[in-house]
Amino acid sequence: MHGASFEVYDQEFVAIVGPSGCGKSTILNMIGALVTPTAGSITIDGQPVTGTAPQVGYVFQKDTVFPWRTVRRNIGLGLEYRGVTPVERERRVREAVALAGLEGFEEAFPATLSGGMRQRVALMRTLVVDPEILLMDEPFGALDTHTKIGLHAELLALWGAKRQTVVFVTHDLSEAITLADRIVVMTRRPGRIKMIHSVKLSRPRDVIKLRESEAYAEEYSHIWHVLGEEFAP
Amino acid sequence: MSERTRIYLWRVLILVVILGGWEYLTGIKAISQTPGLYWIDPFFISRPSLIVKRFAYLASGQVRLNIWQMARSTVESTICGFVVGVTTGFAAGLVLGRNDRLARIFEPYIVAFNSLPRIALVPLITMIFGFGLAAKVVLAWTIVFFIVFFNTFQGARSVDADLIHSARFLGASERQIMRTVIVPSALAWTFASLTPSISFALIGVVVGEFLGGESGGGLGFLIIQSLGTLNAADMMVALVVLGVIGIVMALGIKQVETRLLRWRPEYRKPA
Repeated sequence: MHGASFEVYDQEFVAIVGPSGCGKSTILNMIGALVTPTAGSITIDGQPVTGTAPQVGYVFQKDTVFPWRTVRRNIGLGLEYRGVTPVERERRVREAVALAGLEGFEEAFPATLSGGMRQRVALMRTLVVDPEILLMDEPFGALDTHTKIGLHAELLALWGAKRQTVVFVTHDLSEAITLADRIVVMTRRPGRIKMIHSVKLSRPRDVIKLRESEAYAEEYSHIWHVLGEEFAP
Repeated sequence: MSERTRIYLWRVLILVVILGGWEYLTGIKAISQTPGLYWIDPFFISRPSLIVKRFAYLASGQVRLNIWQMARSTVESTICGFVVGVTTGFAAGLVLGRNDRLARIFEPYIVAFNSLPRIALVPLITMIFGFGLAAKVVLAWTIVFFIVFFNTFQGARSVDADLIHSARFLGASERQIMRTVIVPSALAWTFASLTPSISFALIGVVVGEFLGGESGGGLGFLIIQSLGTLNAADMMVALVVLGVIGIVMALGIKQVETRLLRWRPEYRKPA
Protein backbone atom coordinates (compact mmCIF):
# COMPACT_ATOMS: atom_id res chain seq x y z
CA MET A 1 0.00 0.00 0.00
CA HIS A 2 1.29 3.42 -0.82
CA GLY A 3 0.25 7.04 -0.38
CA ALA A 4 -3.19 6.24 0.96
CA SER A 5 -4.51 9.15 2.96
CA PHE A 6 -8.06 10.02 3.92
CA GLU A 7 -10.07 11.40 6.78
CA VAL A 8 -13.15 10.01 8.42
CA TYR A 9 -15.39 12.52 10.15
CA ASP A 10 -17.24 12.10 13.38
CA GLN A 11 -20.45 10.07 13.03
CA GLU A 12 -19.64 9.29 9.43
CA PHE A 13 -20.09 5.91 7.76
CA VAL A 14 -17.20 5.29 5.39
CA ALA A 15 -16.79 2.17 3.27
CA ILE A 16 -13.54 1.07 1.69
CA VAL A 17 -13.88 -1.02 -1.48
CA GLY A 18 -11.24 -2.52 -3.70
CA PRO A 19 -9.97 -5.80 -5.14
CA SER A 20 -8.66 -8.42 -2.71
CA GLY A 21 -5.10 -7.90 -1.60
CA CYS A 22 -5.22 -4.12 -2.12
CA GLY A 23 -4.68 -3.44 1.57
CA LYS A 24 -8.15 -2.37 2.66
CA SER A 25 -8.09 -4.70 5.67
CA THR A 26 -4.57 -3.50 6.46
CA ILE A 27 -5.87 0.08 6.74
CA LEU A 28 -8.46 -1.14 9.22
CA ASN A 29 -5.87 -3.11 11.17
CA MET A 30 -3.69 -0.02 11.35
CA ILE A 31 -6.54 2.05 12.75
CA GLY A 32 -7.16 -0.75 15.24
CA ALA A 33 -3.45 -0.92 16.09
CA LEU A 34 -3.20 -4.59 15.08
CA VAL A 35 -0.62 -3.58 12.48
CA THR A 36 1.93 -0.78 12.79
CA PRO A 37 2.36 1.29 9.61
CA THR A 38 5.91 1.18 8.17
CA ALA A 39 5.53 4.81 7.15
CA GLY A 40 2.93 7.47 7.78
CA SER A 41 0.61 7.80 10.72
CA ILE A 42 -2.91 7.22 11.96
CA THR A 43 -4.58 9.66 14.30
CA ILE A 44 -7.84 9.46 16.19
CA ASP A 45 -9.16 12.82 17.41
CA GLY A 46 -5.74 14.27 16.67
CA GLN A 47 -3.92 11.70 18.83
CA PRO A 48 -1.56 9.24 17.12
CA VAL A 49 -2.64 5.61 17.50
CA THR A 50 -0.22 3.64 19.66
CA GLY A 51 -2.29 0.80 21.06
CA THR A 52 -5.82 -0.53 21.01
CA ALA A 53 -7.93 2.54 21.75
CA PRO A 54 -10.73 1.98 24.27
CA GLN A 55 -13.29 3.83 22.15
CA VAL A 56 -12.72 1.54 19.16
CA GLY A 57 -14.84 -1.54 18.43
CA TYR A 58 -13.87 -4.12 15.83
CA VAL A 59 -16.02 -6.68 14.03
CA PHE A 60 -14.02 -9.35 12.23
CA GLN A 61 -14.97 -11.22 9.09
CA LYS A 62 -14.04 -14.43 10.78
CA ASP A 63 -16.33 -15.84 13.38
CA THR A 64 -14.86 -14.59 16.66
CA VAL A 65 -17.77 -15.44 18.91
CA PHE A 66 -16.37 -17.48 21.83
CA PRO A 67 -17.65 -21.02 21.22
CA TRP A 68 -17.57 -21.98 24.91
CA ARG A 69 -19.80 -19.11 25.98
CA THR A 70 -23.54 -18.88 25.50
CA VAL A 71 -25.03 -16.03 23.46
CA ARG A 72 -25.80 -14.09 26.63
CA ARG A 73 -22.32 -14.46 28.05
CA ASN A 74 -20.74 -13.59 24.69
CA ILE A 75 -22.65 -10.35 24.44
CA GLY A 76 -21.81 -9.51 28.05
CA LEU A 77 -18.09 -10.11 27.51
CA GLY A 78 -17.04 -6.48 27.00
CA LEU A 79 -19.11 -5.34 29.96
CA GLU A 80 -17.50 -8.04 32.09
CA TYR A 81 -14.03 -6.87 31.02
CA ARG A 82 -14.89 -3.29 31.87
CA GLY A 83 -16.13 -4.21 35.32
CA VAL A 84 -19.80 -3.36 34.80
CA THR A 85 -21.89 -4.70 37.70
CA PRO A 86 -23.76 -7.96 37.02
CA VAL A 87 -27.17 -6.29 37.37
CA GLU A 88 -26.36 -3.54 34.90
CA ARG A 89 -24.70 -6.09 32.65
CA GLU A 90 -27.79 -8.25 32.66
CA ARG A 91 -29.97 -5.27 31.73
CA ARG A 92 -27.79 -4.14 28.83
CA VAL A 93 -27.37 -7.66 27.50
CA ARG A 94 -31.12 -8.17 27.56
CA GLU A 95 -31.54 -4.94 25.64
CA ALA A 96 -28.96 -5.99 23.06
CA VAL A 97 -30.53 -9.44 22.69
CA ALA A 98 -33.88 -7.81 22.00
CA LEU A 99 -32.36 -5.36 19.49
CA ALA A 100 -30.73 -8.20 17.59
CA GLY A 101 -33.85 -10.36 17.67
CA LEU A 102 -32.02 -13.12 19.50
CA GLU A 103 -34.67 -13.72 22.16
CA GLY A 104 -34.95 -17.37 23.05
CA PHE A 105 -31.33 -18.02 22.11
CA GLU A 106 -29.73 -16.43 25.20
CA GLU A 107 -28.55 -19.77 26.58
CA ALA A 108 -27.62 -21.30 23.22
CA PHE A 109 -24.01 -22.08 22.37
CA PRO A 110 -22.70 -20.57 19.11
CA ALA A 111 -22.30 -23.97 17.47
CA THR A 112 -26.09 -24.30 17.40
CA LEU A 113 -26.60 -20.97 15.60
CA SER A 114 -26.51 -20.07 11.90
CA GLY A 115 -23.69 -17.95 10.50
CA GLY A 116 -25.95 -14.90 10.34
CA MET A 117 -26.97 -15.23 13.97
CA ARG A 118 -23.40 -15.71 15.10
CA GLN A 119 -22.35 -12.54 13.28
CA ARG A 120 -25.26 -10.73 14.90
CA VAL A 121 -23.96 -11.86 18.29
CA ALA A 122 -20.49 -10.57 17.34
CA LEU A 123 -22.01 -7.23 16.28
CA MET A 124 -24.05 -6.83 19.47
CA ARG A 125 -21.08 -7.85 21.58
CA THR A 126 -19.16 -4.95 20.04
CA LEU A 127 -22.02 -2.44 20.19
CA VAL A 128 -23.05 -3.18 23.77
CA VAL A 129 -19.93 -1.40 25.11
CA ASP A 130 -20.87 1.72 23.09
CA PRO A 131 -17.76 2.25 20.97
CA GLU A 132 -17.45 5.67 19.34
CA ILE A 133 -15.60 4.21 16.41
CA LEU A 134 -16.63 0.98 14.77
CA LEU A 135 -14.23 -0.87 12.48
CA MET A 136 -15.81 -3.61 10.40
CA ASP A 137 -13.75 -5.95 8.23
CA GLU A 138 -16.10 -7.59 5.73
CA PRO A 139 -18.35 -8.61 8.60
CA PHE A 140 -21.00 -10.07 6.30
CA GLY A 141 -18.57 -11.48 3.73
CA ALA A 142 -19.27 -15.11 4.56
CA LEU A 143 -23.06 -14.81 4.52
CA ASP A 144 -25.58 -15.45 1.74
CA THR A 145 -27.22 -12.44 0.05
CA HIS A 146 -30.53 -12.87 1.82
CA THR A 147 -29.02 -12.91 5.32
CA LYS A 148 -26.67 -10.12 4.32
CA ILE A 149 -29.45 -7.73 3.27
CA GLY A 150 -31.30 -8.44 6.50
CA LEU A 151 -28.21 -7.55 8.47
CA HIS A 152 -27.70 -4.38 6.41
CA ALA A 153 -31.12 -3.19 7.54
CA GLU A 154 -30.34 -4.03 11.15
CA LEU A 155 -26.96 -2.37 11.04
CA LEU A 156 -28.43 0.81 9.54
CA ALA A 157 -31.14 0.92 12.19
CA LEU A 158 -28.63 0.44 15.01
CA TRP A 159 -26.26 2.96 13.51
CA GLY A 160 -29.08 5.44 12.97
CA ALA A 161 -29.80 5.37 16.69
CA LYS A 162 -26.23 5.79 17.98
CA ARG A 163 -24.30 7.25 15.03
CA GLN A 164 -20.93 5.72 15.67
CA THR A 165 -18.14 6.64 13.31
CA VAL A 166 -17.85 3.58 11.07
CA VAL A 167 -15.11 2.33 8.77
CA PHE A 168 -16.47 -0.60 6.84
CA VAL A 169 -14.26 -2.71 4.57
CA THR A 170 -15.91 -4.73 1.82
CA HIS A 171 -15.37 -6.00 -1.70
CA ASP A 172 -19.09 -5.83 -2.39
CA LEU A 173 -19.96 -2.50 -4.04
CA SER A 174 -23.73 -2.85 -3.49
CA GLU A 175 -23.08 -3.30 0.21
CA ALA A 176 -20.92 -0.18 0.30
CA ILE A 177 -23.51 1.96 -1.50
CA THR A 178 -26.34 0.65 0.67
CA LEU A 179 -24.56 1.51 3.92
CA ALA A 180 -22.04 4.29 3.50
CA ASP A 181 -21.95 8.08 3.37
CA ARG A 182 -18.65 8.03 1.54
CA ILE A 183 -16.85 5.30 -0.36
CA VAL A 184 -13.08 5.05 -0.66
CA VAL A 185 -12.18 3.17 -3.85
CA MET A 186 -8.75 1.52 -3.83
CA THR A 187 -6.63 0.29 -6.73
CA ARG A 188 -5.28 -3.21 -6.90
CA ARG A 189 -1.92 -3.97 -5.32
CA PRO A 190 0.03 -1.85 -4.55
CA GLY A 191 -3.08 -0.22 -3.11
CA ARG A 192 -3.61 3.47 -3.59
CA ILE A 193 -6.72 5.52 -3.20
CA LYS A 194 -8.28 5.95 -6.61
CA MET A 195 -11.35 7.92 -5.71
CA ILE A 196 -13.31 9.09 -2.72
CA HIS A 197 -16.97 9.28 -3.56
CA SER A 198 -19.85 10.78 -1.56
CA VAL A 199 -22.99 8.69 -1.81
CA LYS A 200 -25.94 10.94 -2.61
CA LEU A 201 -28.69 8.75 -1.19
CA SER A 202 -30.92 10.13 1.52
CA ARG A 203 -31.37 8.46 4.90
CA PRO A 204 -33.08 6.53 6.33
CA ARG A 205 -32.54 4.02 3.55
CA ASP A 206 -34.74 1.08 2.73
CA VAL A 207 -32.21 -1.63 1.90
CA ILE A 208 -34.65 -3.50 -0.36
CA LYS A 209 -36.29 -0.64 -2.25
CA LEU A 210 -33.00 1.20 -2.53
CA ARG A 211 -31.65 -1.37 -4.92
CA GLU A 212 -34.32 -0.75 -7.53
CA SER A 213 -34.09 3.04 -7.36
CA GLU A 214 -32.55 5.03 -10.18
CA ALA A 215 -30.32 6.97 -7.81
CA TYR A 216 -28.78 3.71 -6.61
CA ALA A 217 -28.20 2.55 -10.19
CA GLU A 218 -26.50 5.84 -10.98
CA GLU A 219 -24.21 5.59 -7.96
CA TYR A 220 -23.40 2.03 -8.82
CA SER A 221 -22.48 2.66 -12.45
CA HIS A 222 -20.53 5.79 -11.54
CA ILE A 223 -18.34 3.94 -9.02
CA TRP A 224 -18.15 0.75 -11.03
CA HIS A 225 -16.82 2.72 -13.97
CA VAL A 226 -13.78 3.46 -11.79
CA LEU A 227 -13.61 0.29 -9.68
CA GLY A 228 -14.26 -2.07 -12.60
CA GLU A 229 -10.96 -1.14 -14.24
CA GLU A 230 -9.18 -2.63 -11.25
CA PHE A 231 -10.76 -6.00 -11.92
CA ALA A 232 -9.81 -6.01 -15.62
CA PRO A 233 -6.93 -8.38 -16.40
CA MET B 1 -37.15 -57.23 17.57
CA SER B 2 -35.40 -53.91 17.43
CA GLU B 3 -31.81 -53.50 16.28
CA ARG B 4 -30.79 -52.58 19.82
CA THR B 5 -32.22 -55.70 21.42
CA ARG B 6 -30.68 -57.83 18.71
CA ILE B 7 -27.24 -56.37 19.42
CA TYR B 8 -27.65 -56.91 23.14
CA LEU B 9 -28.73 -60.50 22.59
CA TRP B 10 -25.66 -61.16 20.46
CA ARG B 11 -23.42 -59.71 23.11
CA VAL B 12 -24.94 -61.88 25.82
CA LEU B 13 -24.73 -64.92 23.55
CA ILE B 14 -21.02 -64.37 22.94
CA LEU B 15 -20.39 -64.05 26.67
CA VAL B 16 -22.32 -67.23 27.39
CA VAL B 17 -20.44 -69.17 24.69
CA ILE B 18 -17.06 -68.00 25.96
CA LEU B 19 -17.79 -68.66 29.63
CA GLY B 20 -19.55 -71.94 28.86
CA GLY B 21 -16.76 -73.13 26.58
CA TRP B 22 -14.17 -72.13 29.15
CA GLU B 23 -15.97 -73.94 31.96
CA TYR B 24 -16.59 -77.06 29.81
CA LEU B 25 -13.19 -77.39 28.12
CA THR B 26 -11.26 -77.00 31.35
CA GLY B 27 -13.37 -79.77 32.86
CA ILE B 28 -12.70 -82.64 30.44
CA LYS B 29 -9.61 -84.73 30.69
CA ALA B 30 -7.40 -85.73 27.79
CA ILE B 31 -6.77 -89.23 29.09
CA SER B 32 -9.47 -90.44 31.39
CA GLN B 33 -8.62 -90.75 35.05
CA THR B 34 -5.04 -89.49 34.60
CA PRO B 35 -4.77 -86.62 37.02
CA GLY B 36 -3.54 -83.33 35.69
CA LEU B 37 -3.97 -83.99 31.98
CA TYR B 38 -6.68 -81.73 30.62
CA TRP B 39 -7.52 -80.62 27.10
CA ILE B 40 -7.12 -77.15 28.43
CA ASP B 41 -5.45 -77.02 31.79
CA PRO B 42 -7.30 -74.95 34.43
CA PHE B 43 -3.99 -74.62 36.24
CA PHE B 44 -3.07 -71.87 33.78
CA ILE B 45 -6.35 -70.19 32.99
CA SER B 46 -8.54 -71.33 35.88
CA ARG B 47 -12.31 -71.89 35.44
CA PRO B 48 -15.26 -69.49 35.74
CA SER B 49 -16.79 -71.49 38.60
CA LEU B 50 -13.50 -71.50 40.47
CA ILE B 51 -13.04 -67.77 39.91
CA VAL B 52 -16.47 -67.06 41.38
CA LYS B 53 -15.63 -69.26 44.36
CA ARG B 54 -12.32 -67.50 44.92
CA PHE B 55 -14.00 -64.13 44.52
CA ALA B 56 -16.50 -64.99 47.25
CA TYR B 57 -13.68 -66.12 49.47
CA LEU B 58 -11.53 -63.04 48.84
CA ALA B 59 -14.53 -60.79 49.40
CA SER B 60 -15.33 -62.43 52.73
CA GLY B 61 -13.96 -61.56 56.14
CA GLN B 62 -11.84 -64.71 56.19
CA VAL B 63 -8.84 -63.01 54.62
CA ARG B 64 -6.61 -60.41 56.25
CA LEU B 65 -6.77 -58.06 53.24
CA ASN B 66 -10.01 -58.57 51.34
CA ILE B 67 -10.70 -57.73 47.72
CA TRP B 68 -12.70 -54.59 48.54
CA GLN B 69 -9.83 -53.12 50.53
CA MET B 70 -7.46 -53.88 47.69
CA ALA B 71 -9.78 -52.37 45.10
CA ARG B 72 -10.18 -49.31 47.27
CA SER B 73 -6.45 -48.88 47.58
CA THR B 74 -6.03 -49.14 43.81
CA VAL B 75 -8.85 -46.70 43.08
CA GLU B 76 -7.59 -44.18 45.63
CA SER B 77 -4.06 -44.22 44.26
CA THR B 78 -5.35 -43.93 40.70
CA ILE B 79 -7.51 -40.91 41.50
CA CYS B 80 -4.68 -39.23 43.42
CA GLY B 81 -2.20 -39.79 40.60
CA PHE B 82 -4.77 -38.63 38.06
CA VAL B 83 -5.61 -35.42 39.91
CA VAL B 84 -1.98 -34.53 40.59
CA GLY B 85 -0.97 -35.39 37.01
CA VAL B 86 -3.81 -33.41 35.41
CA THR B 87 -3.29 -30.27 37.49
CA THR B 88 0.50 -30.16 37.13
CA GLY B 89 0.36 -31.18 33.46
CA PHE B 90 -2.20 -28.49 32.76
CA ALA B 91 -0.23 -25.78 34.56
CA ALA B 92 3.03 -26.71 32.85
CA GLY B 93 1.36 -26.97 29.44
CA LEU B 94 -0.22 -23.55 29.85
CA VAL B 95 3.00 -21.86 30.95
CA LEU B 96 5.20 -23.39 28.26
CA GLY B 97 2.47 -23.08 25.65
CA ARG B 98 2.35 -19.32 26.13
CA ASN B 99 6.06 -18.78 26.51
CA ASP B 100 8.08 -19.61 23.43
CA ARG B 101 11.48 -19.22 25.01
CA LEU B 102 10.71 -21.46 27.99
CA ALA B 103 9.22 -24.03 25.64
CA ARG B 104 12.38 -24.10 23.57
CA ILE B 105 14.61 -24.34 26.63
CA PHE B 106 12.70 -27.25 28.14
CA GLU B 107 11.90 -29.14 24.95
CA PRO B 108 14.84 -31.62 24.95
CA TYR B 109 14.33 -32.48 28.62
CA ILE B 110 10.64 -33.10 28.19
CA VAL B 111 11.14 -35.22 25.10
CA ALA B 112 13.93 -37.20 26.79
CA PHE B 113 11.99 -37.86 29.97
CA ASN B 114 8.84 -38.74 28.08
CA SER B 115 10.60 -41.28 25.90
CA LEU B 116 11.92 -43.07 28.97
CA PRO B 117 9.85 -46.22 29.61
CA ARG B 118 8.11 -45.40 32.86
CA ILE B 119 8.29 -48.98 34.12
CA ALA B 120 12.07 -48.59 34.30
CA LEU B 121 11.50 -45.96 36.94
CA VAL B 122 9.52 -48.23 39.26
CA PRO B 123 12.49 -49.53 41.30
CA LEU B 124 13.89 -46.03 41.70
CA ILE B 125 10.53 -44.57 42.69
CA THR B 126 10.06 -47.39 45.18
CA MET B 127 13.51 -46.71 46.59
CA ILE B 128 12.68 -43.06 47.10
CA PHE B 129 9.04 -43.22 48.14
CA GLY B 130 8.86 -46.59 49.82
CA PHE B 131 6.20 -49.25 49.40
CA GLY B 132 3.07 -47.24 50.17
CA LEU B 133 0.59 -44.98 48.47
CA ALA B 134 3.16 -42.31 47.55
CA ALA B 135 5.17 -44.50 45.18
CA LYS B 136 2.06 -45.56 43.26
CA VAL B 137 0.79 -42.01 42.98
CA VAL B 138 4.16 -40.76 41.76
CA LEU B 139 4.32 -43.44 39.10
CA ALA B 140 0.81 -42.62 37.83
CA TRP B 141 1.73 -38.97 37.92
CA THR B 142 4.81 -39.39 35.71
CA ILE B 143 2.59 -40.90 33.04
CA VAL B 144 -0.50 -38.68 33.31
CA PHE B 145 1.55 -35.50 33.53
CA PHE B 146 2.95 -35.90 30.02
CA ILE B 147 -0.33 -36.85 28.38
CA VAL B 148 -2.04 -33.77 29.80
CA PHE B 149 1.01 -31.59 29.32
CA PHE B 150 1.32 -32.26 25.59
CA ASN B 151 -2.38 -31.74 25.00
CA THR B 152 -2.59 -28.52 26.97
CA PHE B 153 0.63 -27.27 25.38
CA GLN B 154 -0.85 -27.80 21.93
CA GLY B 155 -4.10 -26.18 23.02
CA ALA B 156 -2.39 -23.14 24.49
CA ARG B 157 -0.37 -22.68 21.32
CA SER B 158 -3.27 -22.97 18.93
CA VAL B 159 -5.45 -20.29 20.50
CA ASP B 160 -7.04 -18.34 17.68
CA ALA B 161 -5.25 -14.97 17.48
CA ASP B 162 -8.45 -13.26 16.34
CA LEU B 163 -10.20 -14.34 19.55
CA ILE B 164 -7.42 -12.64 21.51
CA HIS B 165 -7.70 -9.53 19.32
CA SER B 166 -11.44 -9.31 19.73
CA ALA B 167 -11.11 -9.69 23.50
CA ARG B 168 -8.58 -6.87 23.51
CA PHE B 169 -10.94 -4.65 21.52
CA LEU B 170 -13.66 -5.39 24.05
CA GLY B 171 -11.39 -3.98 26.73
CA ALA B 172 -9.75 -7.11 28.18
CA SER B 173 -6.55 -6.82 30.22
CA GLU B 174 -3.79 -9.41 29.71
CA ARG B 175 -5.02 -11.28 32.77
CA GLN B 176 -8.59 -11.28 31.52
CA ILE B 177 -7.39 -12.57 28.15
CA MET B 178 -5.61 -15.40 29.98
CA ARG B 179 -8.71 -16.26 31.99
CA THR B 180 -11.41 -15.89 29.32
CA VAL B 181 -9.63 -16.84 26.10
CA ILE B 182 -6.45 -18.83 26.60
CA VAL B 183 -7.49 -21.03 29.52
CA PRO B 184 -10.84 -22.07 28.00
CA SER B 185 -9.23 -22.74 24.60
CA ALA B 186 -6.51 -24.84 26.18
CA LEU B 187 -8.98 -26.62 28.48
CA ALA B 188 -10.84 -27.93 25.47
CA TRP B 189 -7.67 -29.83 24.55
CA THR B 190 -6.97 -30.83 28.14
CA PHE B 191 -10.43 -32.32 28.60
CA ALA B 192 -9.97 -34.45 25.53
CA SER B 193 -6.94 -36.03 27.21
CA LEU B 194 -8.74 -36.95 30.44
CA THR B 195 -10.19 -40.29 29.34
CA PRO B 196 -6.86 -41.76 28.20
CA SER B 197 -5.23 -40.22 31.30
CA ILE B 198 -7.39 -42.10 33.78
CA SER B 199 -6.64 -45.39 32.02
CA PHE B 200 -2.93 -44.68 32.08
CA ALA B 201 -3.10 -43.66 35.72
CA LEU B 202 -4.55 -47.09 36.47
CA ILE B 203 -1.74 -48.78 34.55
CA GLY B 204 0.83 -46.80 36.51
CA VAL B 205 -0.75 -47.71 39.82
CA VAL B 206 -0.99 -51.43 39.07
CA VAL B 207 2.63 -51.54 37.94
CA GLY B 208 3.55 -49.73 41.13
CA GLU B 209 1.65 -52.31 43.13
CA PHE B 210 3.55 -55.17 41.52
CA LEU B 211 6.58 -54.03 43.41
CA GLY B 212 4.89 -52.36 46.32
CA GLY B 213 4.33 -55.42 48.51
CA GLU B 214 1.55 -55.85 50.99
CA SER B 215 1.90 -52.43 52.60
CA GLY B 216 1.02 -50.86 49.24
CA GLY B 217 -1.90 -53.27 49.00
CA GLY B 218 -4.04 -53.02 45.91
CA LEU B 219 -5.02 -55.38 43.14
CA GLY B 220 -1.54 -55.36 41.60
CA PHE B 221 -0.31 -56.91 44.84
CA LEU B 222 -2.95 -59.64 44.60
CA ILE B 223 -1.74 -60.46 41.07
CA ILE B 224 1.91 -60.72 42.12
CA GLN B 225 1.01 -62.70 45.23
CA SER B 226 -0.99 -65.12 43.08
CA LEU B 227 2.00 -65.53 40.82
CA GLY B 228 3.99 -66.55 43.89
CA THR B 229 1.44 -69.21 44.80
CA LEU B 230 0.71 -70.13 41.15
CA ASN B 231 -2.94 -69.33 41.72
CA ALA B 232 -4.53 -68.47 38.37
CA ALA B 233 -8.02 -68.11 39.88
CA ASP B 234 -6.99 -65.27 42.22
CA MET B 235 -5.22 -63.58 39.34
CA MET B 236 -8.41 -63.77 37.29
CA VAL B 237 -10.40 -62.29 40.17
CA ALA B 238 -7.99 -59.34 40.27
CA LEU B 239 -8.17 -58.90 36.50
CA VAL B 240 -11.97 -58.90 36.44
CA VAL B 241 -12.17 -56.37 39.27
CA LEU B 242 -9.52 -54.21 37.56
CA GLY B 243 -11.50 -54.36 34.34
CA VAL B 244 -14.65 -53.20 36.07
CA ILE B 245 -12.77 -50.38 37.82
CA GLY B 246 -11.22 -49.29 34.53
CA ILE B 247 -14.56 -49.20 32.73
CA VAL B 248 -16.39 -47.36 35.51
CA MET B 249 -13.69 -44.71 35.85
CA ALA B 250 -13.39 -44.16 32.10
CA LEU B 251 -17.18 -43.81 31.78
CA GLY B 252 -17.28 -41.39 34.69
CA ILE B 253 -14.60 -39.19 33.15
CA LYS B 254 -16.31 -39.37 29.78
CA GLN B 255 -19.47 -38.03 31.44
CA VAL B 256 -17.57 -35.12 32.95
CA GLU B 257 -15.87 -34.43 29.63
CA THR B 258 -19.16 -34.39 27.74
CA ARG B 259 -20.63 -32.02 30.29
CA LEU B 260 -17.67 -29.63 30.19
CA LEU B 261 -17.40 -29.65 26.41
CA ARG B 262 -21.12 -29.40 25.72
CA TRP B 263 -20.50 -26.24 23.68
CA ARG B 264 -18.67 -28.29 21.07
CA PRO B 265 -20.88 -29.54 18.25
CA GLU B 266 -19.37 -33.04 18.35
CA TYR B 267 -20.36 -33.43 22.00
CA ARG B 268 -23.92 -32.31 21.56
CA LYS B 269 -26.54 -34.92 22.11
CA PRO B 270 -28.27 -35.77 18.85
CA ALA B 271 -31.73 -34.20 18.89
